[in-house]
Amino acid sequence: MGQEFVLLVSASVFCIGACGFVIRKNPLIMFVSVELMLNSVNFLLIAYSSFLNSLDGQIFALFIMTVAAAEVVVGLAIILTIFRTRHEMDVDHIDALKG
Amino acid sequence: MFDLATVFEFTRDTVILTVGITAVLASLGVILCSSPIYCALYLISHMICLALLFLLCNAEFLAVVQIIVYAGAVMILFLFIIALLGGEKEIQENSLERSIAFGLIFILLGELYLSATVGPTKQIEGKINPEMFGTAKAIGLELYSKHIVAFELASAVLLVAAVGVICLAKFSFAPLKRR
Repeated sequence: MGQEFVLLVSASVFCIGACGFVIRKNPLIMFVSVELMLNSVNFLLIAYSSFLNSLDGQIFALFIMTVAAAEVVVGLAIILTIFRTRHEMDVDHIDALKG
Repeated sequence: MFDLATVFEFTRDTVILTVGITAVLASLGVILCSSPIYCALYLISHMICLALLFLLCNAEFLAVVQIIVYAGAVMILFLFIIALLGGEKEIQENSLERSIAFGLIFILLGELYLSATVGPTKQIEGKINPEMFGTAKAIGLELYSKHIVAFELASAVLLVAAVGVICLAKFSFAPLKRR
């Protein structure tokens, strides 16, 4: 597997994830886009750990997975609480803290 | 006649290319699909493609963890939440902000591609020992010797997340209208 291929796939998926985070209004899909970005970084770390013959990248990816799991759980709980209070799912309408 | 090693190499390259393109297409499906259920399904296929790519990078343990933790646990959680909140379709209309967002993201993509053309990182010489690279044993030895503090801190992070979720989800708030 060439380095160019890895960089290309990883950069594309990261940018697609960033784009999805910006253009979508459903908070669930925004979380899914964050997962996409985290996954692309994981892929880059693992591929380079194989290129550089060192396990550190894989350990990093494992910790990123842990943090991502914690983040998803807390985020989904927050979304659930907002939905319970407001009965809608559009992030454009959740602007009570807007200055 | 075909050389067997060449055929294997060609097959491997084809598989890598196919899986990589599928991963990118699946991630495009995630952000372009209106229905949240289909988004979740696209994300599952994307994660399985990534797990295959991890396998091709000699990271068996992380490929398995990717399938179990991401495609299994996290995505099932997402699907439960979608089922709970109702997966109605989102109307995607074109607006000026959306076009600006697309433009900025394309600039970001171009910058990343340009930075990738600087040149390949020098690979470390020597053959990878497949017995001790990416297996559960190797990861465990590394994790419990060099990274033991980080490992314990990760357990603390998970515990705090669990406590936080219980605090958030336990109490039912009255709807805003009734206050």
